[in-house]
Amino acid sequence: MKTKLLPLIIVILSCGLWSCNDQCKETRVTRRLTPFTRTLKDIRSAVKAESAHILKRPGKLYTKGKYLFINEIKQGIHVIDNSDPSNPVFVSFISIPGNGDLAVRDNILFADSYTDLVSLDITDPVNVKEVGRVQNVFKNGQFDGSWWSVNAGNGSVWDAEDAAIQDFNVDFVTETITTNCEENSIYPGWGGGVFLAFADMASFSKSAGAAGSASASPNSSGGSSGQAGSMARFALHQNFLYTVSQTSLHLFDVSKPEKPADFSTVEIGRSIETIFPYQNKLFIGSANGMFIYDNANPAKPTQLSVFQHGTACDPVVVANDIAYVTLRTGTNCNGAQNQMDLVDVSNATSPKLITSYQMQNPHGLSIDFPTLYLCEGDNGLKVFDATDKMTIDKNLLAHFKDMDAYDVISLGKTLLLIGKDGFYQYDSSDPKNLRLLSKILVQK
Amino acid sequence: MKALIQLFLIFLVIGPAIAQKVPFKKKYINHTELGGLFGRVKYSNGYQESQVDSKASLTMQTFNGVKFSDRLAAGITVGVDWYKTALINPIAAGIRYDLMQDKNARLFATADAGYGFGWFHQDSDGYDTKGGLMLNPGLGVKYGKPTGNAFTITLTYKRQNVHADKPLQWEQTVRYEDRVYNRLALRIGMSF
Repeated sequence: MKTKLLPLIIVILSCGLWSCNDQCKETRVTRRLTPFTRTLKDIRSAVKAESAHILKRPGKLYTKGKYLFINEIKQGIHVIDNSDPSNPVFVSFISIPGNGDLAVRDNILFADSYTDLVSLDITDPVNVKEVGRVQNVFKNGQFDGSWWSVNAGNGSVWDAEDAAIQDFNVDFVTETITTNCEENSIYPGWGGGVFLAFADMASFSKSAGAAGSASASPNSSGGSSGQAGSMARFALHQNFLYTVSQTSLHLFDVSKPEKPADFSTVEIGRSIETIFPYQNKLFIGSANGMFIYDNANPAKPTQLSVFQHGTACDPVVVANDIAYVTLRTGTNCNGAQNQMDLVDVSNATSPKLITSYQMQNPHGLSIDFPTLYLCEGDNGLKVFDATDKMTIDKNLLAHFKDMDAYDVISLGKTLLLIGKDGFYQYDSSDPKNLRLLSKILVQK
Repeated sequence: MKALIQLFLIFLVIGPAIAQKVPFKKKYINHTELGGLFGRVKYSNGYQESQVDSKASLTMQTFNGVKFSDRLAAGITVGVDWYKTALINPIAAGIRYDLMQDKNARLFATADAGYGFGWFHQDSDGYDTKGGLMLNPGLGVKYGKPTGNAFTITLTYKRQNVHADKPLQWEQTVRYEDRVYNRLALRIGMSF
C-alpha cells in the first residue's frame, strides 16, 4: 500500500513545484511621448520637394485629377501619379513639417505646417515651389493624440522668429506585466476612466474616416478642386478654404489660390473633428455632435442646428439628404457604442434620427449611392446596398474580412482604401466583387 | 507537461490491449464530481514588490464513458469551472484507471485533456474572454464494492488557458491578457 501511495505523493509534490500559481500576463502597447522643440524659423525653411519616399505612417488621402496625395503624418505629402490605377507611381515627396491636412485647387496645394498655412505650386510635382504662406493662424494642434503648441520662451511674443514649436515624438512601447487574473472592471487600475474626450484628429487611425463620395462631392464651383474625405479638416468651397481647428472654423480667401489670405474665424464649440461640405451646407463633426452650418453666403457660415450624440469618434458623410454618422469606441474617442446612425437632414434646421445600426468597429465610410462602403477596422470592409434606409443591415452585399480597413474613398469605378498595412486600389464597378488593382505596402 | 500527455496517450493505447487479454464485458460508467480549484497568484501590484493572493473556484464535472477492462475506462468529460472572471466549460477526453483491484478502497488514476470553452461566460463591457486548452491529471480514491457504486475523492492538477482582450487604458493601443490557471483540484464524487 505504501508504494502505491507514492504516485499520490508525487502529484502533491509536483503541484507544489508548479506552485499551483495562476500565471497571467498582460501584454499592452502604450504610446510614449518624447518632447522636442523646433524653431519656427527652422520649420518655415524646411518646406521643399524631395525625391519619392517610402510610405511609413500614412495619414489622410486626397485625390485630384491623375494625382493622389497621401499625407505622411507630420512629415509631408507623398505625390503619386495614379493615371494607371493598377500601377501607381511615386513621383515625389513634399517635405512639410507638421503637416496633417491638405486640399488642392487647380495647381495649388494648400497644406498646414504647424502654425502656418502654406500654398504650393504643384504644376511640376517634382519641382514644387512654395508660393504663399499665412503665418501663425493655427495656435495648436494634435497628431496621434499628442498636442503641439507654440513655446514662446525668453519673454518673446509667441510669433517671434525665435519662438519654437513644442511637440512630441510618438512611439509605441510593448510591455508585459503579471496580473491577478481577475481584472474585470470597465475602467480598471490607475488612471482608469481618464480618457481623452476628443479624437486624434490627424492620426492615422482617425484620418481613417476619410470618405469622399461621388454623389456628395465636397467641392463646388470656383475652380477645379480635388476630392477629400469626410475626415478632412480642410474643405474648399467657391472662393474659400475652410479649415477646422479644435474649437473653431477658419476661413481663408483663396480667390487668388497662390496667395491665400486670412479671412475670418467662426467659433463653433469644442472637440471639432471634421468638415464635410454638402450642397450649400457645412457638416461639422465634433466628438459629441454634428453641427450643420448654412453656407449660402460662403463668406459667412451660420449655424442652423446641432445633432447631439454620445461622445465618440464620428466620421460623417451625406448623400440624398441623409447623413451617415459612424460612432465607434477607441483609444481617444471615449465612446461606448459601435454603430452607424442615419440622420434625416432634409430640413437642416432640425435633423432627425432615422435609425441606428449596430456595427463592429466602424471607421471611415464612403457612399456612392446606393452603395455604402464602411471600414470596420480589423474586421475589414463592408459593402452595403443603402437603397432602403430602414434595412441597410439586411442588405450586406459583401464583407471583405482579410484586410485591415481604416479609410475609404469611392470614386465610382475605383475605390481607394487605406489600412494599417498600406494603401489599396480596387475596381469597384461590381461592388460585390472588388478586384484589387494595386497596393502600396507600408514599410515598417 | 509533455510527460503527462504521453502518459495519457499510453493509457489510450494500452487500454484496449489489456482489454483483449482479459475476457471482459464492456459497460457504461459515469463519474460525477464536485469540488474546488485551489491556487495562488503572484502579481505585480504596480509597485516593485509583488503581491500574492489565494484563490478558490468552484468546479463540477461529469465523466461518461465505457469500461473497457477491469481497470480502464475511457470517455468524455464535460464540466463547469467558475473562475472569478471566467466561466469555462471544458469538454475533454478522459480516462479512469484503477491502480488497485478487488478492494473496497481503491486508488485510481484520472486524466482529462481537452478544451475549455467560454460559451456561457458574460464579459464586462470592453472585455472579450476566450477559452483555451485544458489538462487535468491526478489521483483519486474510490470507496465502495468493486462491482457496485463508489464514492470518490480525487486530488488532481488542473491547467486551463484563457485569453482575454481588455479595454484600453490611458495611452494604450493594445491590451490583452494570457491566463494560465494552475490549480490543485480537490473533488468528491460518485461513480457507478
